[in-house]
Amino acid sequence: MKRRELLKAGGIAGILAATQFPLIRGVWAQDRYAKYRGQTVVMNIPAHPHYDAMTKLLPEFTAETGIKVELDKIAIGRMKDKQLLEMAKPQGDYDAVCYIVMWKTEYVKKNLIVPLEPYFANAALADPAYDMNDIVKGYLENLGLVGGKKGYLPGPGAKLYGLPYGAETSVLAYRKDIFDKHGLKAPQTYDELQKLLAPIKAKEGIGALTSRGQAGHQCVHAWLLHLNPLGGEVFDDAWNPAFNKRPGIDALKLLKEISDTGPAGIPGYGQGEMINAFLQGQAAMYLDSILIMGQVNDPAKSKIVGKVAYALHPKGVRYASQSGGLGLAIPANAKNKEAAFLLLQWLTSKPADLKVTKVGGNAGRMSTLQNQEILKQYPEFAILTEQLRYVEPDWRPIIAEWDEINIQALGVAVSEALTGKKTPEEALNGTVPKVTEIMKRGGYLKS
Amino acid sequence: MSAVANKNARVAWLFVLPAIVIMAAACLYPVISAVRLGFYEWSMGTPWSQARWAGLTSFQIAYTEPAVWSSLWTTLKFASVSVTAEMALGIGLALALEGNIRGQAAFRTLFILPMMVAPIAVGLTWRYLFDAQFGLINAVLGVFGVAAKGWLADESLAFAAIIIADIWQWTPFVFIMVVAGLANVDGSILEAARIDGARWWTMTMRVKLPMIAHVLAITLVMRLIDAFRVLEVIYVLTFGGPGASTEVLSLHIYKTAFIGQKLGAASAISVLLLAVVMVLTWLALRMSNPLADSEGDR
Repeated sequence: MKRRELLKAGGIAGILAATQFPLIRGVWAQDRYAKYRGQTVVMNIPAHPHYDAMTKLLPEFTAETGIKVELDKIAIGRMKDKQLLEMAKPQGDYDAVCYIVMWKTEYVKKNLIVPLEPYFANAALADPAYDMNDIVKGYLENLGLVGGKKGYLPGPGAKLYGLPYGAETSVLAYRKDIFDKHGLKAPQTYDELQKLLAPIKAKEGIGALTSRGQAGHQCVHAWLLHLNPLGGEVFDDAWNPAFNKRPGIDALKLLKEISDTGPAGIPGYGQGEMINAFLQGQAAMYLDSILIMGQVNDPAKSKIVGKVAYALHPKGVRYASQSGGLGLAIPANAKNKEAAFLLLQWLTSKPADLKVTKVGGNAGRMSTLQNQEILKQYPEFAILTEQLRYVEPDWRPIIAEWDEINIQALGVAVSEALTGKKTPEEALNGTVPKVTEIMKRGGYLKS
Repeated sequence: MSAVANKNARVAWLFVLPAIVIMAAACLYPVISAVRLGFYEWSMGTPWSQARWAGLTSFQIAYTEPAVWSSLWTTLKFASVSVTAEMALGIGLALALEGNIRGQAAFRTLFILPMMVAPIAVGLTWRYLFDAQFGLINAVLGVFGVAAKGWLADESLAFAAIIIADIWQWTPFVFIMVVAGLANVDGSILEAARIDGARWWTMTMRVKLPMIAHVLAITLVMRLIDAFRVLEVIYVLTFGGPGASTEVLSLHIYKTAFIGQKLGAASAISVLLLAVVMVLTWLALRMSNPLADSEGDR
């Protein structure tokens, strides 16, 4: 059934056909790599826990394939500028790049990255055991596909441009000791979540729920986390701003309440501060990326080892957890495209996904999430597997204009509502003209 | 002028010509490129051949956008408060450490350390210091019974935070410049003033500071230019927030260029920033006019 759905989506039909085709199944791994032995793949990656874990696997890749890997590791905030400059050159220095999901449509629009179907369809390169269907569907659609519905969702015209690697969704983490002490139950709905905020702050004297809040991307991310489950959307189907409708305002009011009942300083919190407040015992709940799972039980970072349980991202009018994170793509101006593809394929294969998860990376395949050994190491993957059913690929509009809307329009408005400078209604309604102007400039709306 | 003098002048020009050519190319080329870019619509990651001539559109849009003027106002407030404080503190410290006091060398080294730290590291350090939960500043305030504050979560406090960080980093620059200036003050003039009965205050205000007025003017200009270009520390510390309360012009230019992908508009705003800095520089130099004075001294 899953396979049929993917075929219907059209985006990765070619790949599936290629990987299932009997004539090309018999290509031996050593043949695949022989031609590229001695080549060096230059890869641009961020300083990020998943890529730290990946780095540990690279010697094995080189030993197995003879392909060397050179890493250019930079701060995630600087990655896009650097990649744009490199990929605009006739021949760039990068053979593979890690990208944030929001960049995929822009990169494709500017012809900076290449579709991966031709590589997966190439019998000399494709790994017959790859099993594309095993990759978490929501991750693959969210990070990989460009050109379908809305330009970034599955559907006719969608092509695979990247592979999820370091993808994530959102879960609720909560302090089981505090909840048990006060006889509380983990919230299953947004109503239940909201009702817990003030009492936890009053009873325990710490923040109820930690959250991002810094102006720009951070506060918008926090607001979107609630907007989607509450039934909201940033744009309607005709690309008119819809974020200022009731669900958007409710989500912002809730975020303000979370900020007021949370650990002090949320309007200045980036992701690091948000996570740190929870790990240092200053908040009873965390509702954000699964990145937290790898840190909670690390005594070097956490004061709450063994005290945390997980639950699904609460339901509003629907379940809808975030879809985001990182993927891997091949620049159009790469020198060693085939070798880069072999590296991407190897890293996202079943065995490598299992290995990277064992050493602290994000799981990207269902087989990894259901692996008994992994489940022993990370019992919370049971909740994660369930949560993945509710990943919302349309969690935010992945259009080339999003960065500007995210940071320079909504990022200011949401921040001003959090500090109380404007009411949520004033903040969001006041942003509609600016967002409309950006959408007109982008050609989504008529001038 | 004699033939020998003429020849000497020509030789002198010949020697400095390469430096003049290199300086002109290094300074003028980026400025001309930036102005030229302002007339085009061009997105990063696309070839220049795809750039579209936009005429004055970018300048019109850039200068009618409220965010440009509000960020310019924020920059003016930031520069005036921080540079005034830095000048006052830098001069005060230099005067305090001017005489033969014990541990003078150690103090001087200590004071100039912040200036040597990379701006990104300064931003990160202050971000931790201002942390509402775990920051040292709230911990110290707590000792005096002051309630913890969300430094980076409140518009006024965040503005104060970026000024404090800038003062911490750049007061040493003023300090070094003033120390160097004071070291060059002619001792006989100071001696004469002392014999005339001048006390510390009179000596400082009427003799020392006027004598290093040129140094102070140059220092002021350099600090103003730097304050108008400040980016990294604010980028890390607040990213312009909360709201847009700490979004200075250079951060707005950065966001316009690299987030909004409007390189033409960003260049147009850069021209505005350049004009403001040039006017301020001209005013500051005119106030003291060191070159004219030095001509007269000759």
